[in-house]
Amino acid sequence: MPDVAAEPGLFEGYEVDGFFDEVFDADGRVRPHYAPLLARLSGFTSDDLVRQGRLRDAAFRSQGVTFTVYDEGEGIERTFPMDLLPRIVPADEWDHIEAGLVQRVTALNAFLDDLYVGERAAIHDGIVPTWLVESSDGFCREAFGIPVPLGARCLVSGVDLVRDGEGTYRVLEDNLRNPSGISYVIQNRVAMTRVLPTVFAHQQVRSVDHYGRSLLSALALVAPPASGDRPTVVVLTPGVFNSAYFEHVFLASQMGVELVEGRDLVVDDHVVSMRTTRGLQRVDVIYRRIDDGFLDPVVFRSDSTLGVPGLMAAARAGNVTIANAVGNGVADDKAVYAFVPDLIRYYTGDEAILPNVQTYLLWDEDQRAEALDRIDQLVVKPVAEAGGYGIVIGPSATDAELEACRRRVEADPRHYIAQEVVPLSRHPSLVGDHLEGRHVDLRPFVLSGERIEVIPGGLTRVAMRRGSLVVNSSQGGGSKDTWVLTAEPEEPDDPDDDEPTDRGDG
Amino acid sequence: MLARDAESLFWAGRYLERAESTARLLDVTYHSLLETSPAEEAEAWRGVLSAVRLDQGFAESGRPLTAAAVSEFLVLDSDNPGSILTAVERARENARTVREQLSTELWESLNSFGLELRGRDLQADLAFQPHELYGFVRRRCQTVAGVAAETMARDEGWRFFVLGWNLERAEMACRLLSVRWRQLSPTAFHEWMATLRSASALEAYRRQYRASMDPVDVVEFLLLSRTFPRSVLFSLRTARNELDRLAVDGEMSRPRRQLGRVCAGLEFADVRELMSGDLGHELFLVEEGIRQVALSVATQYFSNSHEFDLHSLHLLPGDPG
Repeated sequence: MPDVAAEPGLFEGYEVDGFFDEVFDADGRVRPHYAPLLARLSGFTSDDLVRQGRLRDAAFRSQGVTFTVYDEGEGIERTFPMDLLPRIVPADEWDHIEAGLVQRVTALNAFLDDLYVGERAAIHDGIVPTWLVESSDGFCREAFGIPVPLGARCLVSGVDLVRDGEGTYRVLEDNLRNPSGISYVIQNRVAMTRVLPTVFAHQQVRSVDHYGRSLLSALALVAPPASGDRPTVVVLTPGVFNSAYFEHVFLASQMGVELVEGRDLVVDDHVVSMRTTRGLQRVDVIYRRIDDGFLDPVVFRSDSTLGVPGLMAAARAGNVTIANAVGNGVADDKAVYAFVPDLIRYYTGDEAILPNVQTYLLWDEDQRAEALDRIDQLVVKPVAEAGGYGIVIGPSATDAELEACRRRVEADPRHYIAQEVVPLSRHPSLVGDHLEGRHVDLRPFVLSGERIEVIPGGLTRVAMRRGSLVVNSSQGGGSKDTWVLTAEPEEPDDPDDDEPTDRGDG
Repeated sequence: MLARDAESLFWAGRYLERAESTARLLDVTYHSLLETSPAEEAEAWRGVLSAVRLDQGFAESGRPLTAAAVSEFLVLDSDNPGSILTAVERARENARTVREQLSTELWESLNSFGLELRGRDLQADLAFQPHELYGFVRRRCQTVAGVAAETMARDEGWRFFVLGWNLERAEMACRLLSVRWRQLSPTAFHEWMATLRSASALEAYRRQYRASMDPVDVVEFLLLSRTFPRSVLFSLRTARNELDRLAVDGEMSRPRRQLGRVCAGLEFADVRELMSGDLGHELFLVEEGIRQVALSVATQYFSNSHEFDLHSLHLLPGDPG
């Protein structure tokens, strides 16, 4: 193995360990799009980075950029951990990702709209089995006949991408219900420009701070046709105790709209209004950050105090638009996910640009037999869970865990899938006072409006524990600012001059 | 704006003022009592508790009537809804639920205030540097007020924030006067001076009345001054100004009428007349008037919000439910 960092400095002793490393190629050479960054960082010692890290923590804490972790019933506010080394995606790679995401969300919107208000063509034509769709936890009969203007059912998607051992971007999950994390994308960028301004300067990074405007215009576009030029848009939050409350506040204030709770809304004669200091004011679009099951106690969980009685009937009457649409969870079902490449072919006529991760459908006897035979080499996941819960990673599980997993699968094969273990790409991350490779994924955010817009970059999540493949923030993951470059960085003029140099801008 | 948001801003203002007034009161009391007898001291602390309307709560806590116990109760007792720690925490929680209505700088200054207060060793502060602690609380409250004034648009949210802040200030000032009036003899020079100092009013008072310390002048200044921002009348006029602007199409709402009457009573009052009669009773009527205004504000503007379930949480002991 070539030594990626022979010279002393931040990268001293850094190893790629046979993984696909975002910064160094297999021969230990710096990938060209990272060269300018590393040149700037060569002026830093690890002490500098540790000090800047403390600055970042203090800034996040006083800004209240936090999420809530629940431990034995007690909520603790934690600052979201952002690693100081940014992840960089070059322009050509991003073009590929963007095209793949636009294609994928186009097909998913078509599928969901067809399923809930259309002819259910994909099902009739046998692309996805009827029983599979109807047995999904995310499938929602109550959503039948509820229109969404422009068919933009996945108004916001947060598609999780991973890079495998060859560096191929693959889709791991689509997250079409209530994906969170965009606020951290924007806050990470703000923090980077403040904490490491010299590193940031002149890098031609595409900006992300227009998200609020893009989201608001997408939401306004899906307003009921009768609501006029300036529809009233609100963000619906479960409240201050929700772990993503910071993000709900952030989005409402970025858009300049009211942040409401269920108790602020009232439905009368199928019209939704909010309670203001001057009486009731009609609401046209609800960007809800509450799960389907809690939206309307009349239709769903009757014990929900977070929702609004009569909301679903108002939506059905076409008096209010709920975004994301109710019932999207069916396409987040990991067993339905396996059919997305087929749905892309069916609805767009093209092959999927971004492949799935190889997935085994365990209700199928042959696939199940094959998967259970190799269970110690595969990852088994429940189909309906998000956030990394309930996952069994074969290579790191004990025999007893594997046996328990096998029994659960055999008892209820519809509700599990198995996937090949993806050796996620790694990225240098600050661990204590030095850099080590840590596994990362990437969650770009996709907006459906008149056209499909992908916000450049997204949330790079980092598994902060050595060797861990779990990047979820609920499981101790961190994040990175993610830069999409506008143009390829220049190649070094002099091939002999491969030592990074400080360009001396400050 | 959302009725619930208006209510939260109103209470954020009230709690901040509650924290600041309490810190001022404790600071001055503590330092003016260092040379007095234990009996006088107990009487003074009883007055403090009565001024913040927590005498009953304190009695129920079973603590002795000493400087240490009262200070602890009013500073860091998290079971005491009127302690500085609780008030700041509730101001922060109220602000947090309306964070999208606040400027980032305002939220940051309030949030870091709450976090720093929580991070301090308050027991040690009380033991070794109470003056530093009270100064910290006062300065941070003033910082929050200043940042708010410099960064918030003069919209509905601002008006409810200022309204809550000033109603609380007027009520606290009123109670302080009424306690002092009962306790102090007209010749208690140092105590009247301390009363002025607790309102940061001493220098302003001297510029108006020179160095004399006549209780009549002190009461006039703290109750009726039209120029000093912590006087009862000044605070009520500030509150009235915001209420007037909240009225849609000049509507003469119930809280406007009530507050107008309280203000007019003070605007046309003569201090010597007040003091030759029953000043204590007059002050009680003003205080009662302020409470009625607060209730009417809630009915007029917040009753559209959820069924008042949070309201009980907001009320301080002794407040009418």
